[in-house]
Amino acid sequence: MKIGVLTKQVPSADSPLKLDGGGKWIGEENVTFAINESDAYALEEALRIKEETGDGEVVVASLGPQRVQRGIREGLSKGADRGIHIEESLPYTSDPFLTATLFANTLRNESFDLILSGLQSDDLGLGQVGVLLGEMLSMSTATLVMETGISDSTIRVKRELEGGWFQWTTLKLPASISIQSGINTPRYPSLKGIMGAKKKEIRSIARNEVDDGGATLQTLRKVYIPQKVKRTEMIEGEADQVVAKLIDIFKRDIKVL
Amino acid sequence: MTFSLLEKTVLAIIIIGALGSFFYEVVRRLRIVARGTGTLPLDRIPQRLIRTVKEVLFHRRVIGGRFWPGLMHGLVFWGFIVFGVVTLDHFATGFGTPLLSENQHHLYSIVVLPFSVLVIIGIGFLAYRRFILKPHTLGKISLTSGIVAIFIFLLMVTYIYGEMSPPLLIAKVNWWLHALLVLAFLVLIPKSKHLHLVFAPFNIFLRPFDTPDHDAVKIDLEAPEEELDAMLEGLTHLSKNQTLDVFSCVECGRCTDACPAHRGGGILNPKHHFMLDLRQPLLDGGSTAVLDQINIEAGWECTACQACTFACPVGNQVEKSDEIRRLQVLVEGAVPQEYQKLFMNLQETGNTEGAFHSPLAERLPKFTPDKEYVLWLGCFARYELDPNFTKSVENYARILDSGGVSYGILEEEWCSGDPANRLGEKMTFQMLMEHNMEQLSQVKKVTSMCPHCIVNLSKEYGKFTDIHYRVEHHTQVIASLIDQNRIDVSSKAQGAITYHDPCNMARTMGEVEAPRRTLRTLAPDFFELEEHGTNTLCCGAGGGLWWKKEGTGRTHLVRAEQIVNSGAETVVTGCNFCYGMFNQGLDPLTPEGRETVKVKDLADLVAENLA
Ligand code: SF4
Ligand code: SF4
Repeated sequence: MKIGVLTKQVPSADSPLKLDGGGKWIGEENVTFAINESDAYALEEALRIKEETGDGEVVVASLGPQRVQRGIREGLSKGADRGIHIEESLPYTSDPFLTATLFANTLRNESFDLILSGLQSDDLGLGQVGVLLGEMLSMSTATLVMETGISDSTIRVKRELEGGWFQWTTLKLPASISIQSGINTPRYPSLKGIMGAKKKEIRSIARNEVDDGGATLQTLRKVYIPQKVKRTEMIEGEADQVVAKLIDIFKRDIKVL
Repeated sequence: MTFSLLEKTVLAIIIIGALGSFFYEVVRRLRIVARGTGTLPLDRIPQRLIRTVKEVLFHRRVIGGRFWPGLMHGLVFWGFIVFGVVTLDHFATGFGTPLLSENQHHLYSIVVLPFSVLVIIGIGFLAYRRFILKPHTLGKISLTSGIVAIFIFLLMVTYIYGEMSPPLLIAKVNWWLHALLVLAFLVLIPKSKHLHLVFAPFNIFLRPFDTPDHDAVKIDLEAPEEELDAMLEGLTHLSKNQTLDVFSCVECGRCTDACPAHRGGGILNPKHHFMLDLRQPLLDGGSTAVLDQINIEAGWECTACQACTFACPVGNQVEKSDEIRRLQVLVEGAVPQEYQKLFMNLQETGNTEGAFHSPLAERLPKFTPDKEYVLWLGCFARYELDPNFTKSVENYARILDSGGVSYGILEEEWCSGDPANRLGEKMTFQMLMEHNMEQLSQVKKVTSMCPHCIVNLSKEYGKFTDIHYRVEHHTQVIASLIDQNRIDVSSKAQGAITYHDPCNMARTMGEVEAPRRTLRTLAPDFFELEEHGTNTLCCGAGGGLWWKKEGTGRTHLVRAEQIVNSGAETVVTGCNFCYGMFNQGLDPLTPEGRETVKVKDLADLVAENLA
């Protein structure tokens, strides 16, 4: 079984975020980066599938500037076999179609049986790359996967639907599936893993050497920090009226009912 | 009494058989001990001898920990010593060469007879406790213990009877019975917990002076792979001291009784998990590579408080959470998620919280070489893990100012490494240590309010390199400022006020006096909690457990409960973690209508009473 895992490096949750000068991204000073949470679960799932089937290869692929190699290295110390780094100069690529195209054209020749990715990235949260990539490489696709069962030519997955519903479905391999956080318990790089990772290969490809199909479907115009406003409204009147008004606010403004 | 040649031959054969069995079993265990890592320490011999006399001959810990059972054990023990000569003489008589003349024998029996009665009382009480009262702590009823109790009883009875000049034939039977009992005892001892008779004195003599006494794990990522493999393999081995501990354990359960995790309803039972679970694997495999047998879940529950080690009457260093955790982290890579986050923070930002900015550190003066002390904040204070504690830090700063002490903080202070160290992430610990050692390279004195930092900056770093600076806890600095009249404090009634000893100060650093000197000056009527000084009970935050997700156990509430029940209005402590735990724990435990106990750091109390 040959498994590819897409991992993205994102600013870690506690990093203080400030906008950069151009207003199109965040300033990276004082920001620490971590592997996107659900990607860490995807990697763990890949390692478990490899251990369960007893053979195969897990390849970590990442897109981003030089710093993402640290994330790839972390994956290698946890047990992945090699890494692929599409190196770009920009700190981010915001168009999921472009990202998927870059991955597709880089990974096509790898002929993965399975590609796992996190459900969505913690920074942009678009949640599309896994499915797009699957389509581009003519794989079966599934999203929001909470459990997997692998066999020779198929993978059975449990998907999270809305309202507490689940769906079990079986996909033919090759397949690209996106993994929900919490599906397993990610491991920690052992000392031996860290030592071993030093000898593992990371293949680096410059982004402009990859055919991107020329198409950018989305451009990011502006990022901004959500405005926090304090609003106090006094509701007056009889108890009945107040309650009716409150329910109305809960339904319409706060949307909790 | 005379013995025929046949009798003498039989006696000799049985003696040789019993001694053979005894030595075979003892040597078998000693050979396993010899395979342990490290060496048995033989430094400071006079101190070791004094300790051995106190703890073995005078039973200081045996009686100190549990008065009545300890005293009764003492009766049996002292009886045994007195009986040594009697027993040798008994067998010598069997070969027709008694050691004592008739007269000497009679004179000595005047001493021995009362002792034999005391031994009967002692063993009677102990048997009553074990088989009738059956305290939970002793565990399952053991057959050998029953047999041993009966043997000891019969030994005494046969001795007393023999002294009453019975008719010759009966005297002969009685003599043989006594002899056979002694020899049977010899066979039984090494195969049971009664081996402590032989090992405990040596174990107490050889006990390391530092508690805890975990080996430093030195990681060199540049070393060749075989070296690393050997180092990792070594992590599964008990040291010689630890192996001797396992064979010396008398299964009394005092360690478990003292254990906050156990008392809080956790699964951790140090007697089993850190001692007895290792005994059979040692004997079966003959190798000391048994640390992977420790229950992992139990290992994560430990607060590393060292109460177990201090409670052990045979001198065992009981706690082994360090050993099992480092195996889990470094070898298995199996780390609870909350700790993975913590480790990542430490690696990325050098602090436990993943923080980039400390408003408190910005307000405090910076260290320059002309200043006397580095004020070491530690992550708890620096990143305000309990925002109330910030005022305690400022209070300490005020005290230092008032005493004319110059101090400053290090801007590049990183976590001392305590949580990484105690949770088994030795590589991150080493990384933090190396950074901090560089920051401290020109420093002569460090003072900190965090006992966890104190232990690491001094003892733990000291395992890697020579430390050239002195580390003083704020309770020590304050006490000496008062002693030298450098600060002016007034004494006044403080209401019902008590002191909670942080484990790291009391047990690891051995400091219980300094805070009390200050308390006696400020609040002469302060009272002691039942478990205080080196007997203190952990607040629940030690061993990295501050960052643990809430589990099922109530480890973090046991001490808080004691404080609520003590009737104190104020509890003073000397550790930011204890402070934080009580601030969270006391209020929900306080019965309705009663005021919540106030939590203060010693610095708060002193600052409030600065003249
Ligand atoms: S160190 Fe403390 S928590 Fe750990 S086993 Fe010993 S008594 Fe229990
Ligand atoms: S380790 Fe010490 S305290 Fe614990 S059961 Fe054994 S002898 Fe008793």
